[in-house]
Amino acid sequence: MSDLDRAIEQLRQCRPIPELQVREICFKAREILIEEANVQIVDAPVTICGDIHGQFHDLMELFRVGGDCPDTNYLFMGDFVDRGFYSLESFLLLLCLKVRYPDRITLIRGNHESRQITTVYGFYDECIRKYGSANVWRYCCDVFDYLALGALVIGAGSSVQPTRLVDGEDAEAKVREAEDEVEIEVIGLGGVVTRQMSRRDAGMINSTNLTPSALPHLSSSGPAGALLTGVPGTGASGNSRGIANANTPANTGGAVLCVHGGLSPLIDSVDKIRLLDRKQEVPHDGAMCDLLWSDPEEIDGWGLSPRGAGFLFGADIVKQFNHLNNLTLIARAHQLVMEGFKEMFDSSIVTVWSAPNYCYRCGNVAAILELGEDNSNSVLRSGGEEVLFNRENTRRLASTYMGGSMKRGGPGRRYRVFEAAAQDSRGMPSKKPMPYYFL
Amino acid sequence: MAIPTRFATPSMAAPPSSAEKDRTVQQTDMDALVSRCSAVQTGYLTDPTKAIDQIVESFLSRPFQGKKQIISLGAGSDTRFFRLATNKSLQLLYHEFDFPQVTSRKITAIQRHKELATIISEFGQVNPPEDGSGVPGFRVDARAGSLSSLCYYIHPIDLRTLKPGVPLPAGIDATLPTLFISECCLIYLSPNEADDIFRWITSSFGQASESNSNGVGIVLYEPIGGDDSFGKVMIRNLSQRGIVLRTLQRYSTLERQKERMRVLGFNTGMGACDVNFIHNEWIDSKEKERIDGLELLDEREEWVLLAKHYCIAWGWIEQHAASGSAADLSFQSWSQFPIQRS
Repeated sequence: MSDLDRAIEQLRQCRPIPELQVREICFKAREILIEEANVQIVDAPVTICGDIHGQFHDLMELFRVGGDCPDTNYLFMGDFVDRGFYSLESFLLLLCLKVRYPDRITLIRGNHESRQITTVYGFYDECIRKYGSANVWRYCCDVFDYLALGALVIGAGSSVQPTRLVDGEDAEAKVREAEDEVEIEVIGLGGVVTRQMSRRDAGMINSTNLTPSALPHLSSSGPAGALLTGVPGTGASGNSRGIANANTPANTGGAVLCVHGGLSPLIDSVDKIRLLDRKQEVPHDGAMCDLLWSDPEEIDGWGLSPRGAGFLFGADIVKQFNHLNNLTLIARAHQLVMEGFKEMFDSSIVTVWSAPNYCYRCGNVAAILELGEDNSNSVLRSGGEEVLFNRENTRRLASTYMGGSMKRGGPGRRYRVFEAAAQDSRGMPSKKPMPYYFL
Repeated sequence: MAIPTRFATPSMAAPPSSAEKDRTVQQTDMDALVSRCSAVQTGYLTDPTKAIDQIVESFLSRPFQGKKQIISLGAGSDTRFFRLATNKSLQLLYHEFDFPQVTSRKITAIQRHKELATIISEFGQVNPPEDGSGVPGFRVDARAGSLSSLCYYIHPIDLRTLKPGVPLPAGIDATLPTLFISECCLIYLSPNEADDIFRWITSSFGQASESNSNGVGIVLYEPIGGDDSFGKVMIRNLSQRGIVLRTLQRYSTLERQKERMRVLGFNTGMGACDVNFIHNEWIDSKEKERIDGLELLDEREEWVLLAKHYCIAWGWIEQHAASGSAADLSFQSWSQFPIQRS
């Protein structure tokens, strides 16, 4: 067993590794990350995750629900640290996995991966507490500066293979309903399929019919338990048909842009993100800051953000951006969603939130998003990223959809919803700090 | 002098054998103190503090000629009196009730800080001695944990003893327009004990001495909700620390809070809003912009969630003005606060 594998094992037990080893791993991670593009290209199938915020035991729950790395290909959209009690163990575990399996896990930067924010929201203090000095915090911050700003998932299929349950008439009925092509599947608590939507229903999904109360609580030992064991390429991979039919506008290989916060008024194309000099502390304003801080909102155009950084952007902005860049979806994190995920603007953007019972007090569930691969293997995919995302080509593709009457379908997507790790398995210190309330 | 909303009190050995539960509740005052200190350091007071300030301000600024009275229930280390007393022309009689263990600590702190002692001595005096010499203008019974002065009293009282028929503590003037304040205090009592305090107030000030009464009002700040997932987690988290929000279930919504006012006697007028509404509708946009600019706030959704689970509720009784003129009513202006439609 290599030192790295040992470090991974130790971190999986939620035990910090020695300072010297942190330094070494951070150095190796930097060597890998420095080679990555500002917008890293990731092949489907991939499982996309939102904020973690140092909730280590919930990160373990995420791996249990989504499958282990490297069996499952992961993309984490930032905010690994701050707020929770185990930022250090959470981030270092993800970083070790990155060093060990660089092609099976992608880490992009969140607004908390910053010196300024971590000194306010807990990661700095945690490092001091656990190591007695700021060295480890410094090593980690140096890694933050090299994290990609976004990722582009390519080759995602237009449908997911419906999960069939062994028994239960309701479940069978649901599958039959959606017999043609399942665009969206939601697997709720306990691994139970709570929703399958065929492509012809697309656009109907919203958070109101997906509230946690609509997700039945079942023990994981139930018939659905088998779904949770995390086979390689679990979930959406495999036999999705992904071929256009009469009801389905062809999925011509439009990509999914993943970014922590959202869009920027200074960025009208994915190529512009590529031009940024990212190797620095997150600035207070400008394009790089916006990508990490902005939020979608029910407004027209752009608005000022109440967060004091980034902007608010409306449906028109997202649709135009997706159209011009041949994107089928923007996946982002950054905002607490009580239901774990929330699609907005006719499913042109989704918020994925992966920290259940955020800050140990919000009572929310969490979710991860699985995108399957497209077995129809579009021409564009074989053309490779250079061709696919060359600006002129993007324009040509976009013109295919001119006229606007034709609605492009999003990729097939499966959401797996999960709860916080059980209290007793969390191994919290008995004198754990209290989540704060006004008392 | 900028005065934080709470001030630090020296730590003292745990009181001998008083009930563990009481101590847990008393400890919540220190939690509030810690979080408020950090809020003050960053430069903003919490929205509920500002909302209560607005309500208090409105009560104090009415044209009624003469003294008014404020009684703070479970005041703990709250510094509202000292903040108000910086306005030397204010005609105000101020009382605080709390457990003797809490009041003694506060009195010790006051005795150690000359500025605070001076504020108490001078407040309400027509001609305070300029050199600050002479007998301090307040009396302290350190054993009992009480303090009394011309215009400021600290009463060592277990709130659970207050019920209809119990006489008013010394120094309280039932003929003054009077405002009671409870900031996260009554919620720790049993529903019946909390209701008894309401009845004690309305019977002592409202009806029994109606001919002399110049109106009495109450403002509460406390958690609501508890049926949704946030509320359930809150109840579970607090109970792990031995804190039970005992009236939460009975007064879990804005509607129930208003009904509480009506049924228990504050029936001239009443209102209730959650803190998120207060932030949106009561705090002016300039102030909000100032707060937004203070630091990068990365907990917005969480904050809104939290703020929707706290409410400000108020109610009052005011039969007539002593002068006979409606313009002299102390609580009339309370009906002008923006109201949240549920």
